[in-house]
Amino acid sequence: MPEESTAYAARAVGAVKIYGSGDSEVHALDGVDANFERGKFTAIMGPSGSGKSTLMHCLAGLDSLTSGKVFVNEVDLSSLNDKALTELRRERIGFVFQAYNLIPTLNALENILLPLTLGRKKGDDAWIERMIDTISLRDRLTHRPSELSGGQQQRVAIARALATRPSIIFADEPTGNLDSKTGTEVLEFMRLAVTDLGQTIVMVTHDANAASYADRIVFLADGKVAGEMFTPTAQRVLEYLTHLGE
Amino acid sequence: MFRLALKMTLARAGRLVLTSLAVILGTAFLSGTFVFRDTINQTFDRLFSDIFRDVDAYVRSTTFIELDFGGEQRAATPIAVLDTVRGVEGVSSATGDIQAFARVIGKDGEPLGSEGGGPPTFGGIVSSDTAGLWTVDSGRLPVGPNEMMLDRATADNGEFVVGDTVRVVSFAGPREFTLVGVASYGDIASPGGATFALFDQPTASEFLLQPGFVDAILVAGDGSVDDEVLAERIDAALSPDLKLETLTGAEITAEVQGQIKDVLNIFSTFLIVFSFIALGVGSFVIYNVFSITAAQRQQENALLRAIGASRSQVSRALLVESLAMGVIGSLIGFGIGIVLSIGLNALLQATGFEVPTRGLAIKPSSFTNTLIAGVVVTVLAAWLPARRAGRVPPLAAMRETALDTAGNLSRRVMIGLGLVALGVVGLVAAMNDAPVQVLGLGVLGVFAGILVLGPAIARPVALFIGVPVAKLRGVSGSMARQNAARNPKRTSRTAAPVLIGVALVTAFSVLAASLRAEIRDTFGSAFTGDLALTVDARGFGGIPLTVTDEIAALDGVAQATGVGFTSVRIVDPGEAPTNNNASSEQVAPLPDLRGSFVQTVNPATISGLFDLGVTQGDITSLGNDGLFVEEDRATEKGWRLGDRLQLVRIDGKLVDAEIRGFVTGDTSFANYVASREMFADSPTPIFDAFVYIRASEGTEVGVLRDRVAAISSDVGIGSLQTKDEFIDERAAQVNQVLALIYGLLALSIIIAVVGIVITLLLSVFERRREIGLLRAVGMTRSQVRTTVRWESVITSLLGAAAGVVLGIVMGVVVVAALSGDSGIAFSLPIRDTVAIVIGSFLLGVVAAIYPAWRATQVNVVEAIATT
Repeated sequence: MPEESTAYAARAVGAVKIYGSGDSEVHALDGVDANFERGKFTAIMGPSGSGKSTLMHCLAGLDSLTSGKVFVNEVDLSSLNDKALTELRRERIGFVFQAYNLIPTLNALENILLPLTLGRKKGDDAWIERMIDTISLRDRLTHRPSELSGGQQQRVAIARALATRPSIIFADEPTGNLDSKTGTEVLEFMRLAVTDLGQTIVMVTHDANAASYADRIVFLADGKVAGEMFTPTAQRVLEYLTHLGE
Repeated sequence: MFRLALKMTLARAGRLVLTSLAVILGTAFLSGTFVFRDTINQTFDRLFSDIFRDVDAYVRSTTFIELDFGGEQRAATPIAVLDTVRGVEGVSSATGDIQAFARVIGKDGEPLGSEGGGPPTFGGIVSSDTAGLWTVDSGRLPVGPNEMMLDRATADNGEFVVGDTVRVVSFAGPREFTLVGVASYGDIASPGGATFALFDQPTASEFLLQPGFVDAILVAGDGSVDDEVLAERIDAALSPDLKLETLTGAEITAEVQGQIKDVLNIFSTFLIVFSFIALGVGSFVIYNVFSITAAQRQQENALLRAIGASRSQVSRALLVESLAMGVIGSLIGFGIGIVLSIGLNALLQATGFEVPTRGLAIKPSSFTNTLIAGVVVTVLAAWLPARRAGRVPPLAAMRETALDTAGNLSRRVMIGLGLVALGVVGLVAAMNDAPVQVLGLGVLGVFAGILVLGPAIARPVALFIGVPVAKLRGVSGSMARQNAARNPKRTSRTAAPVLIGVALVTAFSVLAASLRAEIRDTFGSAFTGDLALTVDARGFGGIPLTVTDEIAALDGVAQATGVGFTSVRIVDPGEAPTNNNASSEQVAPLPDLRGSFVQTVNPATISGLFDLGVTQGDITSLGNDGLFVEEDRATEKGWRLGDRLQLVRIDGKLVDAEIRGFVTGDTSFANYVASREMFADSPTPIFDAFVYIRASEGTEVGVLRDRVAAISSDVGIGSLQTKDEFIDERAAQVNQVLALIYGLLALSIIIAVVGIVITLLLSVFERRREIGLLRAVGMTRSQVRTTVRWESVITSLLGAAAGVVLGIVMGVVVVAALSGDSGIAFSLPIRDTVAIVIGSFLLGVVAAIYPAWRATQVNVVEAIATT
């Protein structure tokens, strides 16, 4: 695949997003430049209202920018119509949300295969098998989401996001609804997906511990990039954040 | 994807059946009508095949008149033809056949069989000939002028046994006979619940028709030749001057079967029309269900979009659900429809039509048609909500609450008002003599406009209707009011089926009230006498003229006159063949075969007692060749006083008639008036339908009534009424039709109620968190119930209020459009309208019972815990 040759799975150039108008105008993104390297696990952090979720939504083609550009595999998302964007999300992007990740009427396996089914694709059997083993839910595949624990549900969601071997996976507070033990399970699995399976993950979080699993952290504040950190630990992240607030 | 969508649908099977109720009801009625129609058709097909089993040829007159209300009247056949037919080689036996009016008087003095709407009462011939239609059950065949037989059912109903004296009334008046036997028709006791008095041929001809005549001749062959050959031989033997034709047994069987089918088709078409109205109302319920479902599943659909489902894939998933709903609903509906058809059959039996059932006729076409109708309606109704579901932004996957906003209100108001305005233009045009299609389009425009406006007006109107509820029911009432108004789109969609049902009911009641008032007015001023003897014979039989004359001769009667109806064929002089174009070889065109109704009157006695609405001419000038024509008809045809019309009587005799005057025609559906003298020499007798009577001065009406009753009950005919009763009954005839229409519209109303039930259930499900919270902070179960109940009532009343207004407008327009120049005064049925509003209130209460109970079952802890 030609796009795999580029260094960045996604990047933002001068990204501006303004909500509302006049007095109620809010600059959610105020000129963000950021690159997300292929094969890395990147976390986006920042206080509430810093624009981290907006940046992720725009990078993923769920929302559009007021000005500036975002690229996925060097494709300018603003040049794509709804149909092309849908296809891009289906084939090249994976999603993991905080909650409501799964279709309640479909069982775990059907949820995992959903992006393939939607695209009428067969998928790579060996890859799927390997993934199912990795999330260790083989005995739960025929269960409905309501019959799975929160951690199990998130693991199914990540497996779903991985099913098409996307160029990039966006995760929005994937551990936000989980206790620390199951949260750790999910984070370890994501780490594994990057290290062992060579995937690219961008995760939005406000949890320093979660961010410490990433290769790099991009800090946002007031809609701007406030800094970055490589090979973080929870301790360093907390220190940095305290700093950032000053 | 289809498989997955189907799986997602079936995972919610419980809800699927609930939401399918609207489809189930509509298709049940539709398939019930199909099966009922086919069953009766099959029954009569077999019955007539059976009865005409031994008839190989059928001789009858070629002269006939098609009646306006279906069916035909055929000229009589001279009995002398019988000998000619018997002489044809290949004929083994031949017998005359008569089907004429004869009423059997029961032992209690009341006539057997129903008068008017029920099955007819016949007189006929019974003989030992193979070709005869009757078989002797017990006793023997009648011989001579004093003996008769009865059909098995009539003998049983009237508790007659062989040896009894039976009184029978025909056009010739009443006569007594000795019952010598009982007969059956094929293998059944009586066909279709009709009564039959049977005689030997000479007696039947003389008593029922005219000596020397029968209606037709039944022929049995000896088996030596085909029926076709036999018929050809008979035809060849008959003199062309007699104007007779010969049909094969198969032909006459098919024709009789066809006649039954024609009558039945009118009835079943009527039922099918109302089934489709019900399905249309049901489509609103389906539309609403899918809109709510799509809103509740917004997050799920957004998630699908986020992970790569295209818009059309999300839409298609919902359409697959509607397909499943349509299929399942139609299948269940078809099953219920079969049960319903059995019920319809029982209902028919109960009203006096004895229909021998020989198994249900369930045709594959009934099944496929029901399925197609149900599925198409469901999928079409789900189309818009499905498209809307596809447009959900993927970002909505991250939002907490489902939104179902009213959209762009100002655009909606503009489109709605535009449609209403267009509709009103159509209605106004229709009131000013535009064609009826314009009226239909106008009504459609106003309906569509109101439905588009619905979400915009639902909120203020619901809040307004809710004011007294909030006042009277405290916090529960206040919440009910807010709940009804909080989602105006949903409320208006729920109220729409109620609106349609109520609007139709109101429009029909306005129309009926106006017609009643008009009829009262017309007959009140036309009839100036004291008593009226009427028979509701629907063109078959009636009051013998001898009875009318007998009444006129009574002591204490100052004046009495009879008015009857018969059919003739009018040959328009403008359409008559002309010979001045010598180059044309065209054959003279046949005169229009359609019959026209003629009012037959007695010109000598009618003046001053019953006003026919004469606008020009003197009624006493009618004579035996004069005609009065209804004004509109005359204008339409360009006929003037003194014009001559060719008129063909039922017996085929041509009468050269002169137009001697004009009438308004308000008191009758007939366009022509003739003297009864014109038909005095016809072998097919005429009857009176009304006898109007004025008491002489000094005679008490009550006393006179008893005297007239002595004669009329003696012949077991008609009902005797005072002037007021007579006028009441004329007006009440409208109610019979109205009752039928109300009954059929009831189905639409039931579907509307089902719509409210479903919407409330979905709303309760959606608000279970809120309800849990309210319960947690101390709302009692009964307060929860009250809230749901009043929300339902407000919604129902919202639909009813709009429906009543719309219905009255429609009624006014239809009355104005139908009345044309004659200008029927509009009359508002206040009692009916109040009843409709109270009914809607009760419907709201009933619809809320189950959803309110479900609301009280919400588990407080679980409801609050749900995220």
